[in-house]
Amino acid sequence: MMRVRVFVAVLAALLAPAALAAAQEPYPSRPITIVVPFPPGGVADLHARPLAAALEKVLKNPVAVLNKAGAAGAVGMQHVATSRPDGYTLLLALSSISIIPEADKLFGRQPAYTVDQFEPLALLSADPTILVVRSELPWKTAREFIEDARKRPGEIAFSSSGIYGTLHMAMELLSHAAGIKLRHLPTTGAGPAINALLGGHVHAMASGPAAVIAHIEAGKLRPLASWGDRRHPALPDVPTFRELGYPEAEFYIWAGVFAPRGLPPAVRARLDEALRQAVAEPEFRQAMEKLKTPIAFKQGEEFRKFFEADARRLAEGVRRVGRIEEKKEDKR
Amino acid sequence: MLETFANLAHGFAVALSPGVLLYAFLGCLVGTLVGVLPGVGPLAGISLLLPATFGLDATRAIVMLAGIYYGAMYGGSTTSILMRIPGEAASVMTCIDGYAMARKGRAGAALAIAAVGSYIAGTASVVALMFLAPPLAHFALRFGPPEYFALLVLGLLVLAYMSTGSMLRALAMAVLGLLLGMVGIDQMSGFFRFAYGVVELGDGIGVVPVAVGLFGLSEIMLTAGAAVPQEVIKPRLRELLPSRREWREAWWPIWRGTWLGFLIGIIPGSAHIISSFVSYAVERKLSRHPEEFGKGAVAGVAGPESANNSATSGAFVPMLALGVPSGPIPAVMLAAMMVHGVSPGPLLIRQQPDLFWGFIASMYVGNVVLLILNLPLVGLFVNVLRIPYPLLYPAILTFSIIGVYAVNNSVVDVWIMLATGLLGYVLRKLDFETAPIVLGLVLAPMLELSLRQSLAMSDGHYAIFVTRPISAVLLGAALVLVLLGLRPLISRGLDWRARLALAEKGEPS
Repeated sequence: MMRVRVFVAVLAALLAPAALAAAQEPYPSRPITIVVPFPPGGVADLHARPLAAALEKVLKNPVAVLNKAGAAGAVGMQHVATSRPDGYTLLLALSSISIIPEADKLFGRQPAYTVDQFEPLALLSADPTILVVRSELPWKTAREFIEDARKRPGEIAFSSSGIYGTLHMAMELLSHAAGIKLRHLPTTGAGPAINALLGGHVHAMASGPAAVIAHIEAGKLRPLASWGDRRHPALPDVPTFRELGYPEAEFYIWAGVFAPRGLPPAVRARLDEALRQAVAEPEFRQAMEKLKTPIAFKQGEEFRKFFEADARRLAEGVRRVGRIEEKKEDKR
Repeated sequence: MLETFANLAHGFAVALSPGVLLYAFLGCLVGTLVGVLPGVGPLAGISLLLPATFGLDATRAIVMLAGIYYGAMYGGSTTSILMRIPGEAASVMTCIDGYAMARKGRAGAALAIAAVGSYIAGTASVVALMFLAPPLAHFALRFGPPEYFALLVLGLLVLAYMSTGSMLRALAMAVLGLLLGMVGIDQMSGFFRFAYGVVELGDGIGVVPVAVGLFGLSEIMLTAGAAVPQEVIKPRLRELLPSRREWREAWWPIWRGTWLGFLIGIIPGSAHIISSFVSYAVERKLSRHPEEFGKGAVAGVAGPESANNSATSGAFVPMLALGVPSGPIPAVMLAAMMVHGVSPGPLLIRQQPDLFWGFIASMYVGNVVLLILNLPLVGLFVNVLRIPYPLLYPAILTFSIIGVYAVNNSVVDVWIMLATGLLGYVLRKLDFETAPIVLGLVLAPMLELSLRQSLAMSDGHYAIFVTRPISAVLLGAALVLVLLGLRPLISRGLDWRARLALAEKGEPS
């Protein structure tokens, strides 16, 4: 035991000058890593790659993307939460960042991380979800859908990317706002959820616009309404739930950049500036255009407010869904 | 029909243009390497190279990524046959008979049969993809959770044919696999199960580290622990090619594997690994010498290797015809298309004829490239066996650890591999087979999820399994299989004395 302590002390003594030197050297002087807590090819990854390229150009410093997937993102987010706040480890997270700790709380487990371990840096995009149904089904408008759902509670089924997932939360907010009850089929991701809808195994789904526009154009799916605060530019004929009188049904799948809390102010200022410039780079704009995801850049106080309001909405949603087996007991 | 050929001619014009051809070749080469490296599979390979394709145009990018995908299926057999380490998850079954063939000095033959089988399967399944994609894709989407559940039940019965030894031991191993498959987040309720606070276990125990550990590491330890060191095999050049008899034995399994793999590959969610399991079981059931399986049966290599190759083409059917992913790899490829501004969807074939037909043609070309690449390599790879074990095995161990780590950048996966390696060693010492563990591990999460999804769809009514035609037919077939399996049990029960006498003589009953 004694020996271990001595060893730790020696190690600390050896590392202290290094840490000091690191604090003094100009930022950035080493490669920066953007951690993506999801597998390559997902929404977060497709934001991170062009952003890394643009940041590399702006900072004249290598920026790498590291996919650290697992447990719906918790593995990668925990990794960043416990990383040193030196500006060399950044996180590209989606809306689900504030859902996971809530779900942990619900089950009374030690949370993998908490939201206040992160410092929100920049919002890159925020796309509202769209309510789509199979086109051979009778509902032509969101009103018809909601009325029908009210008449037969628990019979209209929707698929989602997973329990407490973003697509589930969107539907939950709508159900609560409109006072309806839908049947939920959780799957293992947005792709399988769309498969379940197209295959006729469920009736409806909330989806990001980019994933379903091709199917809407092909006449397979019909869009009924959007969760945005204004109409989506790619679907100008589709009303928002706000217009229809359900302002509580507001939901975005957003992607943002975070750092572990406690960045040195100089580093924070440099990163803020670099992110602003990177988002304006033509390559980044082009990449986002191809993904059919409009850029919605927010920084500083503005992003923090957006993030906190969103986290509050989602936390409430998770609590309302509650634990599944408790709900079964309610039924009896 | 004529139109198809005109389109195909156009596709070949695209695929044979130097730029596209180069990337098809590159993709095949990288795929072979990715397949050969233990642990690293096509998903890791494609993911690593995805960013590199961002600068290319859409057709070249897709052609290259597809090359990695089916190239990995060619390469995956190499380490399975030579060293009993699955190069990627779908090659698990090849380890059993491929490695047994190698120990008998037929490594070259096994590698050649795997390569030719992969070629035939690859090419034939592209023909099927070309003609049948649109109608088949719609059929594939009708596989919802209930149909999938019924299919998996049918697949689970395959277990009965997997083992060469005692049924009780095989079932015990399968149950162990099923138990390991229970670890992780419960998809239906969000519960963490058996994770003991390790966040990395949230997605469950990965198939790749377990397969590499159970098959590869256990073999290394067994060799090291053998009282008499195993002889280093010295392959001779004229023994590289399969004999006429071996070709004959491989021929039908290759074709059966091709069809099975393609059909299983189409269904969204099913993995190649299942197609190789099913093919192995079918070959064993149909074989006139089922006792040879596990001891170097040619069909045990030819069938599964063909099946996992044509499953890749099958997986492209929903991706190209409908723009929906049938598994994680097509999902990454769809993302690659989106990065290039191509929106994948039902209109893809019409809107992007260059991409679709160029892609199809490039797969014909790619399979030829892979055959040319792989057959001469057989001679080279076989020489790996000449390396003395004290040098070879530490190197393999290093590559396995790097490969398994690289898939998820996860140290936990490396620990899982080491632990299952130890487990595999102990189990094999005790004469248990380890393949059923992998099957159980693969099937458990799928079976559970599809069962509970089905019940979520029906609000708890089990009738959903019999009121839907596809699932009713599949479950009916499963029932018939069970009844057929029970028949010998009853008839054998009558002459148990005779069996007892046989057992005493030490012969398997």
